[in-house]
Amino acid sequence: MSSREPKTTEFMPRLDVEGVTMVYANGHLALRDASFHLSSGTICALVGVNGSGKSTLFKSIMGFLKPKAGRVSISGMPVSEVLKRNLVAYVPQSEEVDWQFPVSVWDVVMMGRYGSMNFLRIPRAIDKVKVEESLKRVSMWDFRDRQIGELSGGQKKRVFLARALAQGGRVILLDEPFTGVDVKTEEEIIALLRELRMTGCIILVSTHNLGSVPEFCDQVVLINRTVLAYGPTSKVFTEENLTAAFGGVLRQFHFEESTIQDHDGRAVRVLTDDERPLIFGKDGHLEYKDRGQHEELLRKRSEEHD
Amino acid sequence: MTEILNSLLTPFHYEYMLKAIGVSALIGVVCGFLSAFVTLKGWSLMGDALSHAVVPGVALAYILGLPFTLGAFVAGLLAAGTMAFIKAQSRIREDATIGIVFTTYFALGLVLITLFPARVDLKTIILGNILGISDPDILQVIVISAITLLILGLKWKDLMLFCFDANQARTMGLPTGLLHVVLLTLLAATAVAALQAVGACLVVAMLVTPGATAYLLTDRFGRMIFLSSGMGLVTSLAGAYASYYFNGATGGCIVTLQTLVFLAAFVFGPKHGMLAARRRAANADTSTSA
Repeated sequence: MSSREPKTTEFMPRLDVEGVTMVYANGHLALRDASFHLSSGTICALVGVNGSGKSTLFKSIMGFLKPKAGRVSISGMPVSEVLKRNLVAYVPQSEEVDWQFPVSVWDVVMMGRYGSMNFLRIPRAIDKVKVEESLKRVSMWDFRDRQIGELSGGQKKRVFLARALAQGGRVILLDEPFTGVDVKTEEEIIALLRELRMTGCIILVSTHNLGSVPEFCDQVVLINRTVLAYGPTSKVFTEENLTAAFGGVLRQFHFEESTIQDHDGRAVRVLTDDERPLIFGKDGHLEYKDRGQHEELLRKRSEEHD
Repeated sequence: MTEILNSLLTPFHYEYMLKAIGVSALIGVVCGFLSAFVTLKGWSLMGDALSHAVVPGVALAYILGLPFTLGAFVAGLLAAGTMAFIKAQSRIREDATIGIVFTTYFALGLVLITLFPARVDLKTIILGNILGISDPDILQVIVISAITLLILGLKWKDLMLFCFDANQARTMGLPTGLLHVVLLTLLAATAVAALQAVGACLVVAMLVTPGATAYLLTDRFGRMIFLSSGMGLVTSLAGAYASYYFNGATGGCIVTLQTLVFLAAFVFGPKHGMLAARRRAANADTSTSA
């Protein structure tokens, strides 16, 4: 069984989605000819309205649905092969989890190890070490004996991230990771995802929370029944593309010049209730909360690619 | 004093009572074990449906002289298949589907029984007749129980993950389709065994009450299995024993006992009981007002 142990230090995934068409049994065409490619070490946002095919695409990458046409492969291997090696990890939406289920934080993270355990799923020393490491990494070690329903929204999220870490997933899918999570936790999760990116993971984040995308995703796949555009965030995340993806769903506020006076220090404050707002500057360039830091990040990344 | 003791021991002087108590206890353990999964998977209604849907199979098996488990089992799986088919092919909701299918099977069973009243006894199927259980029937119950306990004992962790997070199970390469079928099959098989002890009407209690009770008492799945199996064992044993004094309503005795244990957990459960919740609410009040 030890041969099934994922070699986390070596496997650098590449995700290829090529011409994927998905039709459900009832004849509903969920995705048509969707293609995009991601190489290792990326945090990529999967952005689209409800019903645009985000979850269908997730399901095809997890191997739950077979495409009617096209194929999904990870580093050239079919998805089924990659699943056997426990390389695809999934962090579910909070609404999908039964929080009253009688399991502790430790139990949940240990479930991430089942794929590499023996027939009876009896934890070995290495499994316990991995679970401990993962829990410490998300700062949830002190909560290991809690029943999962007794955690805050952010803590719940971190437990499932720890499970993905314990599993040794190299392609990590997160479904709406920031719903019901406070800003502080959101930043902690983002920091953790960045660390994972450094180790070469592909992190695919399904979200409709536009404002957070430029903050932490270096690539974006825009979908609406097909892939409308994909690539680096700065190129893809334009007003034009987003309007195409969201149609009339987004509310727009234009701050005309009259609002932004010199005596205000040319600053505008935007308050939102929950989600980060997405702000475009004059020529349609993205505005960031901390522009200096972001440009530093972009510069580093372009050096990495050179 | 010895007189009281003697009268308390009377049930054990009869072979049929010893058999009834033993078989009930076995069925109680198996149902209890499985009920932990049934309640968490949200299949309580499914358990009810299957226990009624097996009736035409039992009737047909008796009419044709086949082992009753075989008939019941086939009917149970056919019913589960019918429900899955209707759910997949129409827009009808699951609860309505279950309602339609199990009553159809049950009605068919009633028709068969009334057509051949000499071969099968309606009362036996509906209310169970553990005191009159035949040796071949005992053997069938033992075989079903042994297989069920073996599978659950070996694969309870896989089934737990399947109940908790089927998507995760699937991404780790666990055969979730197979696990689904296994759990459903065990449910049908156990419903058949429990039919002997408490009858079609009360099988669902055996498959739900112990799990629900244990769920109120613990936050760990391992302990929940232990508690629900233990509760199934003790209540079935005691219920069968007590039924000696109530002239045969074994199913009624067992299920009533289970309900009493459930009520105790519901009110006095240390953490999830009604009183504990009240206490917590009161404490929260005083701490906020202070």
